Amino acid sequence: MHKRITRLTTVGLAAAAVGILLAGCTPSSGGATTEDGKSKVVFWQQKFEDYQQDWFKAQVAEFNDSQDEVEVELVVVPADTWDQKLKAAQAAGKAPDVKTTSYGNIKPMQANGQIADLTGLMDDGAFDDIAENIAPFVTIEGGVYGYPLLVEPSTVLFYRADLLAAAGIDAPPTTWDELLDDARALTKDGVYGMNIAQTAPDLGWSSWGLQYTAAGDLPLRGDWSEASAVDPAYEDLAKFYQTLYSEKLMPQEATYPYADCSFFGEGKVAMSACGSWALGQISANPDWAGVWENTAVAAFPSIDGDPTQPTSTLGGWTLTVDAKSKVQDGSAEFVQWLLADDTDRLVDFFTATGFSKYPARVSVTEALAATPEAAENAFLATITEDIVPYAKAEPSYPWDVSIAFATSLEKAMRGGDIPAAMNEAQAAIEDVIKKQKLAGTGGD
Amino acid sequence: MTMSPQSTNRLATAASIALEPEDEDSAPKPRRNVSGRLSTHVMDNRTAYVMIAPMVVLLGIFVWWPLLYSFYLSTFEISFYEDPVFVGLQFYGYVLEDPDFWHSIGIGALYVLYTVPVIMIVAFLVASFIRTCGIKLAGLLKTTVYVPTVVSAVITSVVFVFMYRADGGLVNWLIGFVGLGPFAYLSDPNIALPAISVPGIWLAFGITTLIMLAGMYDIPQSYYEAAQLEGANFVQRTWFITIPLMKNVLLYLLVTATIAGMQQFELPLIMTQGGPTNSTMTPNLFIFNQFKDPTPYATSFSLTAALLLFFVLGGVSMLIFRLIRSDKAIDA
Amino acid sequence: MKASLGRRIATYALAALIVISTALPLGWMLISGFKGRNEVLRTPFQFFPDVWIWQNYATILQDPAFLQAMAVTFAGALLFTLLSLVVNSVAAYAFARLDFRGKRFWWVFCITPMFIPGMAILLTSYVVVSNLGMLNTLAVLIIPGAASAIQMFFIRQFYLNTPLAIEEAALIDGAGRWRIFWSIFLPQSQGVFVVVGVGSFLAYWNAYVWPILTIQDPGLQQIMQYIATFRSERGNEWGLLMAGSTLAALPTILLVLVFQRYIVNGVRLAGMK
Repeated sequence: MHKRITRLTTVGLAAAAVGILLAGCTPSSGGATTEDGKSKVVFWQQKFEDYQQDWFKAQVAEFNDSQDEVEVELVVVPADTWDQKLKAAQAAGKAPDVKTTSYGNIKPMQANGQIADLTGLMDDGAFDDIAENIAPFVTIEGGVYGYPLLVEPSTVLFYRADLLAAAGIDAPPTTWDELLDDARALTKDGVYGMNIAQTAPDLGWSSWGLQYTAAGDLPLRGDWSEASAVDPAYEDLAKFYQTLYSEKLMPQEATYPYADCSFFGEGKVAMSACGSWALGQISANPDWAGVWENTAVAAFPSIDGDPTQPTSTLGGWTLTVDAKSKVQDGSAEFVQWLLADDTDRLVDFFTATGFSKYPARVSVTEALAATPEAAENAFLATITEDIVPYAKAEPSYPWDVSIAFATSLEKAMRGGDIPAAMNEAQAAIEDVIKKQKLAGTGGD
Repeated sequence: MTMSPQSTNRLATAASIALEPEDEDSAPKPRRNVSGRLSTHVMDNRTAYVMIAPMVVLLGIFVWWPLLYSFYLSTFEISFYEDPVFVGLQFYGYVLEDPDFWHSIGIGALYVLYTVPVIMIVAFLVASFIRTCGIKLAGLLKTTVYVPTVVSAVITSVVFVFMYRADGGLVNWLIGFVGLGPFAYLSDPNIALPAISVPGIWLAFGITTLIMLAGMYDIPQSYYEAAQLEGANFVQRTWFITIPLMKNVLLYLLVTATIAGMQQFELPLIMTQGGPTNSTMTPNLFIFNQFKDPTPYATSFSLTAALLLFFVLGGVSMLIFRLIRSDKAIDA
Repeated sequence: MKASLGRRIATYALAALIVISTALPLGWMLISGFKGRNEVLRTPFQFFPDVWIWQNYATILQDPAFLQAMAVTFAGALLFTLLSLVVNSVAAYAFARLDFRGKRFWWVFCITPMFIPGMAILLTSYVVVSNLGMLNTLAVLIIPGAASAIQMFFIRQFYLNTPLAIEEAALIDGAGRWRIFWSIFLPQSQGVFVVVGVGSFLAYWNAYVWPILTIQDPGLQQIMQYIATFRSERGNEWGLLMAGSTLAALPTILLVLVFQRYIVNGVRLAGMK
């Protein structure tokens, strides 16, 4: 009998041993030291275009070879589940030491003490080089909580020069009414005149610029003590989206998310709102060469044609260091090495983007402008001169506010009653203000 | 919902609960337990503890502890960076008064309404049909209807998104034959939820059919023969023989399908992300989405909403299983 | 009693209808995998491709990440199935055949998890596996779900129905419980183990949310992660996506076909006295 017990216990132990062995395979957590005594920095990079992964990978390898103190472990995390993974990791105390962070998340993360002030960790000179219009995105009460890598306007008007010409339109639209008229003229032969975001999660961020041009501000403004979603100016915004959708001037199905400019690339639409990054996407796809030849860009029209009004926010990415990281010095050293030192490193990066993203540092902008590729690029001037200077920072209030407003926009878009939808947004935002205690915390 | 391997194909294996006529009670009482007669004199404490130990330890670590920990955490506004603030039951109140939470419960209920009756009726008809088929054909049909059960929700979602495409999708081509469409199924708030229900039905009706069929095979053929001699037609035979004798199986399937439906999550996650205009925002997807924001508020809200949903669903299902069982005991 | 010709035709027609409507989504997935880039979403609509090309399937099969995901998932699913069979069947035997102090309590302890939805413990389970150092290992996919209330319940139902006489005889002969389990119950368990094992295999193979939270090492990526990520990143390459989905679903479908006899009867198992 005892033999039997032993045998089964052995099975059990074997199973447990398998577990332990498996668990021992690839330990991966921050704050550890590698076998050769280097301190280990875990770096989560949100997955973007392939060339970005290539660049990060090459840079990390080079950094690891360049010194003996710090070993960076690069982890590429898919974008669709980034938020949930990060939250889970934070809950377990296993947040990455360094991570890619969008400008909009800097303030909420700082408010919760999640990210470290870099001013004590990096050389002072590094911060002086950040462009004047971008520095406020990462600076809170004198502290700098993320080091910017790039900026990219999130709303740019892409249009097909050939189709516009064929329809007798000689210049891209400059007001919303013109845009609607052009879209009507261009919607034919199975091609839609326009494409723009149509789902709440996409509208949440891609409509910020349009919220600015419609009402001069966002639905949560000032010191965040009250909601302004019922500002009548937003009814024009809702009407604009509603007209595009209900008159079938744009695709009726969100086959691709807003960040993916495939509708335009596939030639299914004549004009499209896309982020500047779509330049990289379209030019890189050999199947879309025909479209690429005829692609042109312009600032997205403002509501009344004033070209100095913002119609886009400046999205973009920074690297942040976790507040709980045990290797903050090593982390900051890596960030400094990667983003704040050698301009050539970044010039390579921006050249690889096909000039679809733009530097956040003065010296890099200058170095980039001096390259022959930049001089040849047809779109660089439009974006850096017509769009970036007027673009706004992303709002730093909780996403709940943006999604509440966007859900109402989507309802209106799909034929809902506009004032009713805006009232819903108003109530939802008031609720967020109350429960998340926002009143008085805004104001920048 | 396949959250983790934990929630194994519930419907499939749980069939036994309904189909097991002998052991009605969930907790085996010595009186009923067949082995009980033997063991009244001998208690095998040590052996038994060793045997259940792996299971007890695993469930303790990976289910019970996380559950208790969730309850504990739900009384705080959780920050993983600063000291969490004890708020008592505040978040329970927040969830209960949140219109979006109730909206998602409504969507879940609507999804159940779209899927469960169809699954039950189709499965019943198909099972009735298979019962009349020859052995070979019945074998083929049983295997065929079972196949969708093994396909993952991820793959099903991807395929149905492709089939629903407004431009060049299979479904629009098919309904074109009867002069309808084309529709943008997943972008129209009025039809997105029904459109998501179709893969939901497709995934679940096969196993439901097999379970019903098993129940039907247990009904003695002689009942039907007698009824046929009396001149009863199919509807009468179904109404007076099949349904009453399968009452427990049907009830059981109804409950499990309802609970599974209320928890539907992966189909809308991949097919629509809850849109358009939240028309497919099922409760679990709503909860999962709340994880997104970096604020402590979002974390606590999400956790509390999940616990509340668990109370409701878990409570309801345990209650109903109890009802089924006691009812059965009276019958016996 | 011979059925009339008309009745037989109706039977086959109905059977054909059931088969076609069940198989349509899978068939469509398979066929679309054979379509080229320009054909896969062509207007006007065409059911079959003009030219059947193997290229999509070949491309997917040459993607090291895909092969790796298939292999890792397969290995994980086997280990998971094995471990859960061991854990659940031993506990099932104890609950079915032994009497011991606190049985009722432990029964409730082991069976209640059936009613606890994964979502309610998602975050805290993550914290637990993280503290155990299991993140980013196959162990995190295998161990936490291995003990399954429902599987144990199913096996127990089967053991409850095993005739008493043999066990009694063995006990009188002085055999211990382990020996009885090993030499009397296990050999009879083939059928129920196949049913429960297939269930475990499927649960592992098809899992999505738990792996995306706990696994980020590309070398350990699970197959459903691969498909979902492929979809969100290369959403317009439908031919490739359909080919990949077909290949990812294939192992589970083969599993059913191989074990169809057991599975189809397995659903009856509990019903038979």
